[in-house]
Amino acid sequence: MIDRRQFLKLAASLSAAFGVANLPEPVAAALKKIDPASVPKLVYLQGLSCTGCSVSLLQAKSPSAATMITDYSQLAFHADLSAISGKKALDLIKKFLSGEAGPYFFAVEGAVPATMPEACVIGDHPFSWYLDQAGASAAGVVTVGTCASHGGIPAAEGNPTGAISARDYYTHKGFAKPLIAIPGCPPHPDWVWQTVVHLVKIGLPELVDGAPKLFFGRKIHDGCPRYHDFQQEIFAKKLGDPGCLFKLGCLGPDTAADCPSRWWNGGQTWCIDTNAPCIGCASPIFARKKNFPFYRLTEHQKVRG
Amino acid sequence: MKVDLGPITRIEGHLNVHTTVEGGVVTDARCMGEMFRGFEIFLQGRNPLDAQQITQRICGVCPYAHAIASSYAQEQAYQQAVPPNGRILHNLIQGANHLYDYLLHFYQLAALDFVDITAILKYQGKDPELTKVKNWVKAELASGKPFPAAPFLPRLSGNYIANTELNIGAIKHYLDALEIERKANQASAIFGGKFPHATAIFPTGCTQKPRIDLITTYVSLIQEVRQFIHDTYIPDVAAVAAGFPNYWEIGASKGGFLSYGLLPLSPKPGGERLFAPGVLLDGSVQKVDFERITQDINNARYSSPTGLKVRDATLTPAPHKADAYSWIKAPRYGGKMVEVGPAARVMIDYLQGHNPKVKSLVETFAAKAKIKPRQLNSVLGRHLSRAICAAVIADFLLEEAERLDPAGPTMADLKIPASGEGFGATEASRGALLHYIRIENHKIARYECVVPTTWNASPRDDQGTPGAMESALIGTKVANPEDQMESVRIVHSFDPCLACAVH
Repeated sequence: MIDRRQFLKLAASLSAAFGVANLPEPVAAALKKIDPASVPKLVYLQGLSCTGCSVSLLQAKSPSAATMITDYSQLAFHADLSAISGKKALDLIKKFLSGEAGPYFFAVEGAVPATMPEACVIGDHPFSWYLDQAGASAAGVVTVGTCASHGGIPAAEGNPTGAISARDYYTHKGFAKPLIAIPGCPPHPDWVWQTVVHLVKIGLPELVDGAPKLFFGRKIHDGCPRYHDFQQEIFAKKLGDPGCLFKLGCLGPDTAADCPSRWWNGGQTWCIDTNAPCIGCASPIFARKKNFPFYRLTEHQKVRG
Repeated sequence: MKVDLGPITRIEGHLNVHTTVEGGVVTDARCMGEMFRGFEIFLQGRNPLDAQQITQRICGVCPYAHAIASSYAQEQAYQQAVPPNGRILHNLIQGANHLYDYLLHFYQLAALDFVDITAILKYQGKDPELTKVKNWVKAELASGKPFPAAPFLPRLSGNYIANTELNIGAIKHYLDALEIERKANQASAIFGGKFPHATAIFPTGCTQKPRIDLITTYVSLIQEVRQFIHDTYIPDVAAVAAGFPNYWEIGASKGGFLSYGLLPLSPKPGGERLFAPGVLLDGSVQKVDFERITQDINNARYSSPTGLKVRDATLTPAPHKADAYSWIKAPRYGGKMVEVGPAARVMIDYLQGHNPKVKSLVETFAAKAKIKPRQLNSVLGRHLSRAICAAVIADFLLEEAERLDPAGPTMADLKIPASGEGFGATEASRGALLHYIRIENHKIARYECVVPTTWNASPRDDQGTPGAMESALIGTKVANPEDQMESVRIVHSFDPCLACAVH
């Protein structure tokens, strides 16, 4: 947790990087018209990842992903969308990471293979080399998704690569610039894009445990439409049942995210509404322990604990 | 000269291709998978029911395929019957995601190999979206900043479409397709819970109920996607084919073909599927036998034994192994190299005369393009095969949704046995996907995934035979060895997914 003093300092350094004048003055800044010539450049790299975060970013509705990468930011590089490849792509990435191409924000998806650097290579260097370069030159870092923010599935118990989150990688190195975590496997597109909007229009958002309070300030259980069922002890007995899913292993009580009010995929649906227990995909402990399975089918089976 | 094509963009993940070019011809190609996580290692000891969630995270582009393959494998291991609704809901989730995946591949991943984005500067019309793109590109190019109009520029040098109208239409469709893809995924998430990484999929079915309001919204969304496939996607594929007819001859792989078949027509294990399974070797289609699949690892970074069958597979990473050049294993069918993917799926169904819609579409397009069906084994053939799959699947989903019984159960009451094993085979959009699970003491004792890009981007096997993509690249004429637009088009036609290939 950072205190208010540190927060304002970070907000100021961040706003300088984005060329936003007169900050912190959130209200005035929020009304500011975005200057297309000075929107932040994003360099987006992937480590031990599945690209699910990036695919989720494309599911954005209002604004659309295309609007986000042209009006609110400029996506300088993303492996899934960039036209250029090969040596010229590496040259582009390195121009930014060396600081030669001006200020930029670094977005990272995926975990870092801390004990097996060969397990993730881009061009002529291991992934961690790029993290080091970006750490020195970027205005700040957004860790997109649970793998980059908390380690996630690549860091699951028994993994052979010594995977750690990009956030931990930077924290261990005493990284002093803004570091924003957007967990979720995948993160909701709004969580990422609206954080970018916040950065552009207001500055650094308020963070709780490193993640924007706006989206991660409350536990799923606390805002769940089935909280009433929980209070009345109307519990689902088997998968597919309606009612509170707590006894099937729902991790809503342990997971901070605004899914119950935001819903997913164009506001159409979300896990609990489909009777699927929350598996805690935005939680720091997501999928980490073998003896902590996602589901508890029946009380007597005792597969958890 | 030696040229690395990587990092190759507009694919999933970390792929390099090491090429040797002599006299303007690619004389050698080595596909290098450069990211490894070790799923099969950390799945061991977990609760079996974690598997369809964990394995979805192999790939965030086609997570649904892993959820389905894992569910099929668990169904066999649990020996539990699947209710009709359960199988239908699996199909509705998986099928909608196939549609999104084909559009994503053609417009966002492959189109920029052909479409000239700078043509937008010549746009004279009044479409607000295109005017906005035009003004944006113009402002970017005039801004003096480094790398203007990224990520769409810079690009490889090469011959792009010359026709301005065609280019501008394609740019509009690039944007439209994003919205249609979003709707296809919304449709699948209605029953899947969310996309990517569906939480409502389980062995034997799905936790969401087939409520009439949900069915209606699903059908409405798929109708919209289907309209786009017919009015926009198929004509655009045809336009690219008309502009680059030499690509019916470029990028053929030099082995057999394998498809597990896609979308079961009933809950019966081993029952008929919308696309029929088969393995195409030496011109004839045979029945698939999982026991004939082995994985060579002499050129992959593992020290575990080579040539093991799927149910015997083990995995010991060896990052410093001498001479190994990839994290991808080399799966082979009866010792033979095969290609998997949309072309395999379509050809194997077509040659068996199985699905009349597949037959009719293949013959219509082949006549229009003046090609033989065997030329689906080419850059354009893979693109066309995706479009054929999209058309067939969209029609099927609209019929399938009507078969849901709103009053019937959507999944079985799952009981995890103390021991058991199962294979789960389906088609991801990128091709043949096989999961194997073995349960001992109620826990996962062994889990093995043989994934589409593991086949397609495989390194040399132990006999030295190149993988499908390597074989498609070798012998290709390239105009500019440094940029190799031709090779990049070949690689993109396979739609490689490296997170899948290695996992």
